[in-house]
Amino acid sequence: MSDDNRKKEEMTETQSHEVRPGAVPPNASISRKLRDFYDAVQEEGIPDRFLDLLERLEQAEKNAKPVNAK
Amino acid sequence: MSKEDEIDDRGFKRDLLASLPNLRAFAVSLTGRHDKADDLVQDTIMKAWANQTSFTAGTNMRAWLFTILRNEFYSQMRKRGREVQDSDGLFSERFSVHPEQYGRLDLQDFRKALDKLPDDQREAIILVGAAGFAYEEAAAICGCAVGTIKSRVSRARTRLQELLGVSGEGDYGPDAGDAAITSRAFGS
Repeated sequence: MSDDNRKKEEMTETQSHEVRPGAVPPNASISRKLRDFYDAVQEEGIPDRFLDLLERLEQAEKNAKPVNAK
Repeated sequence: MSKEDEIDDRGFKRDLLASLPNLRAFAVSLTGRHDKADDLVQDTIMKAWANQTSFTAGTNMRAWLFTILRNEFYSQMRKRGREVQDSDGLFSERFSVHPEQYGRLDLQDFRKALDKLPDDQREAIILVGAAGFAYEEAAAICGCAVGTIKSRVSRARTRLQELLGVSGEGDYGPDAGDAAITSRAFGS
């Protein structure tokens, strides 16, 4: 009967609202793979082009702002 | 201008930078490609910068940025029509960075499965299962009801389990359109 119970549990867990992603045994490997995939990109860090872009945006803003507008 | 403004600017930039790796991973998930993703992130940074006054300090900047990126993504898709992803190395390009560390083949299979999900299911499971948003936040980002997000996440999980359960047969999977794209991607 434990198999039946487990099946029942899986079904409810899939539909339950309170289940946190990653905490559910039947989906555990899906969740882990999903995070592995995602983390692999995150761990690439921030490409220089974005650092440069922010630098330029910041500079442009400084230049555009009248120093003593009032 | 005033000191306060400068301090605010720095805070804005700092928070934006802190969110970038996560935002970029979301962009890669949506577009499926690093180069397109980075263009999308660049557009998002420029939009966010131009609209920084509309960001309420103290609220969730990450969710704000994700919303901008997502809107940008769909509006670009609508403008161009969904381009068939080109054939030169769709999957090889994606994992060109540290493939050896992550069990490259394993992740490729996963990526292929993820690509087969409908857009709305894919973004839902990414937001909740990987990007670290609560269902409520994901719903706000996608502009839909919390229940809708929950059911999309649930369907996405089921579908991924099915797809990965039959991995190896994925290349001629059930969706003819996707299969065609896949074979083009691998064809050259």
